[in-house]
Amino acid sequence: MGVLKGAMTVRRYAVLGEVPDDFRVRYADALADHAFRDPPASAAGEERSGWCRIDNLLETDFSDLNRWLFNQYLVAALRTDKKVLPAKLFRAHLDRRLAEWCHQHGRNRAPSGVRQEIREQLEIEMFARTLPRVQVVEWVWNLVDGWVAFHNTSDSANDRFVKLFRETFGLELAPFSPLDFLADDPDLAAALEAKGISDYRRPHREDA
Amino acid sequence: MNGNPALPHLSAEFFVWLWFASEREGGTMDLGEAGICDVWVDERISFRAPDEDRVRAVVTGENSSTAAEALAALASGKVVRDVQLHLRREEREYALTLRGVHLDLAGAKLPPHEAEGDDGLLYERMFLYEDLWFVIGALYRRFARERTSARWADEILPAIRAWAAGELADGDGSG
Repeated sequence: MGVLKGAMTVRRYAVLGEVPDDFRVRYADALADHAFRDPPASAAGEERSGWCRIDNLLETDFSDLNRWLFNQYLVAALRTDKKVLPAKLFRAHLDRRLAEWCHQHGRNRAPSGVRQEIREQLEIEMFARTLPRVQVVEWVWNLVDGWVAFHNTSDSANDRFVKLFRETFGLELAPFSPLDFLADDPDLAAALEAKGISDYRRPHREDA
Repeated sequence: MNGNPALPHLSAEFFVWLWFASEREGGTMDLGEAGICDVWVDERISFRAPDEDRVRAVVTGENSSTAAEALAALASGKVVRDVQLHLRREEREYALTLRGVHLDLAGAKLPPHEAEGDDGLLYERMFLYEDLWFVIGALYRRFARERTSARWADEILPAIRAWAAGELADGDGSG
């Protein structure tokens, strides 16, 4: 579901700022610089985000313009990976290792330093064997009209997108405001902006 | 688009106006620059409390727009959080949910399209997306004109209250 197929779930943004004349070269480099990079296999559970192409989430080569620039549309995807250990399985392994340590050392309880060391070692081992959860969100930038459609409406995904977009292109994104529909009639926009909240409840009658 | 404030209450009011106006005008609306469009509330309306975003009530089904539960939710002071719409402009039909302060589109179904190749598909879908957004913009501009007119307080708001209370007679609050 996204740019090329399926139903669209979209948050729209205004791009604040100008697209440079040499955007083809500059943006190819910018996308490459902020493309998704696989972390080391043993990397801990932090989240990693970067751009990929929409034809395959493993494709992060933006050197061919024809893969991401279609007339006025710049098209790419935000890939975010996060490794999460299964909590119950991790706890079970940790308990077993702590029990083995206590048995080997003739102690009832492992000291906190040892517990921490065993926990960290186990995290490294298990993260190395765990596949990440992968989220891919496609987006389209109309470079002429200055809007972006990001195909996800969750606040967390949108926050990541806005941040990486700024870092990549040096431009701010402003979430769509309905007042943008009134851009050609500033007097109407100002009048609407001044309106308060309507109360659709029936007023109480004094004489009732 | 230039970073205007979102004004959350106006999105919620827009949803109510869409719901009311589509019922008032029998589903066919003159949107000026967008021409004559068919607009009706589809199978889902959700409500929230005025001071929070969490859904408090959801009305679903073929007659959600006229369901007593939906009107009662509005009449009791709940705020429309999202509304499922069906739009028809010329021969093109769209189904979508409008949600939240930024008018997010959720599950927007575009008319059938059969362009060949990814390039053609992209251009066709972007054309349809822009067409849909244009209609939503035309609806919002019409809402804005009504919301800022003197008729809002004198005629339209009382008509919405009467409609929500199940008392709207034919012709009341007509646009």
